[in-house]
Amino acid sequence: MITLWVALAVGAALFAVGLYGALSQTNMVMIMMGVELMLGAAMVNLVAFWRFLHPEVYAGQMFVLIVMTVMALEAAVGFGVATARFRAKGSVEMEEATELRE
Amino acid sequence: MMLQLVAVAFFGVAAVAFGIGVFRTRSMVRSALSLLGAMVAIGLMFLAMEAEFLGVLQLMMMASEMTIMAIFMMMYMMDPGGLSQMEMTHQKRTSVGAGIIGGAGALVLSFLTPWGRIVASAPAPGAQLHDLGIELMTRGMLIFETAGFTILVAMIAATLTAIVRQK
Repeated sequence: MITLWVALAVGAALFAVGLYGALSQTNMVMIMMGVELMLGAAMVNLVAFWRFLHPEVYAGQMFVLIVMTVMALEAAVGFGVATARFRAKGSVEMEEATELRE
Repeated sequence: MMLQLVAVAFFGVAAVAFGIGVFRTRSMVRSALSLLGAMVAIGLMFLAMEAEFLGVLQLMMMASEMTIMAIFMMMYMMDPGGLSQMEMTHQKRTSVGAGIIGGAGALVLSFLTPWGRIVASAPAPGAQLHDLGIELMTRGMLIFETAGFTILVAMIAATLTAIVRQK
């Protein structure tokens, strides 16, 4: 039980750090790094649930594969948007992207 | 079991320390390398929790993804080395508060939830790989195919978004 708790505590700490990063950073690539950390936290939890609660059911491992896919997609689309933004405005600073609100 | 606990705790602490390191430096390159360290530590946690396939996959995927991320950071930053000490944060107090509340909430939930019986051992690596393959090709086929199709859509969308439009 202690190992499961340790893994879940690590997941919670990683989620907290990722959430702080996603909310506090002004650079788009740094915001993406925060999101990646939060997804990493979700993967740690999923692997811990699979290993310590139901190692005979592989849906847990499959969910981790899906989260890895989401991480790759987030990076691909994020960099696509960052490239478009950099070409249009010469910067990926989100403080300067106030026109996106309108 | 004791060795597993020590390994999970050690790599977990390393992952969190590298994660904090991502946002403590003003150098983009160091941030990307710290994130790579956090992802490698997460991969090693998977290995410590006997999910060998996922651990190796995580190490390989994240090594390449973080390298690409570092290259993009150097491309898009005026000061990728952080030499001018430019401020790159905003709403710090709100962010710290949200992080603490989110982390503490997840921690409290994980300790209060009755998880039930803990299983002492996991299947052997070969059996895991076989059973995961069967799962992906039977019950999880639709989800797996949807993930593959979504990757294709994202690749096309990202390329079209980034491409220079000819007038």
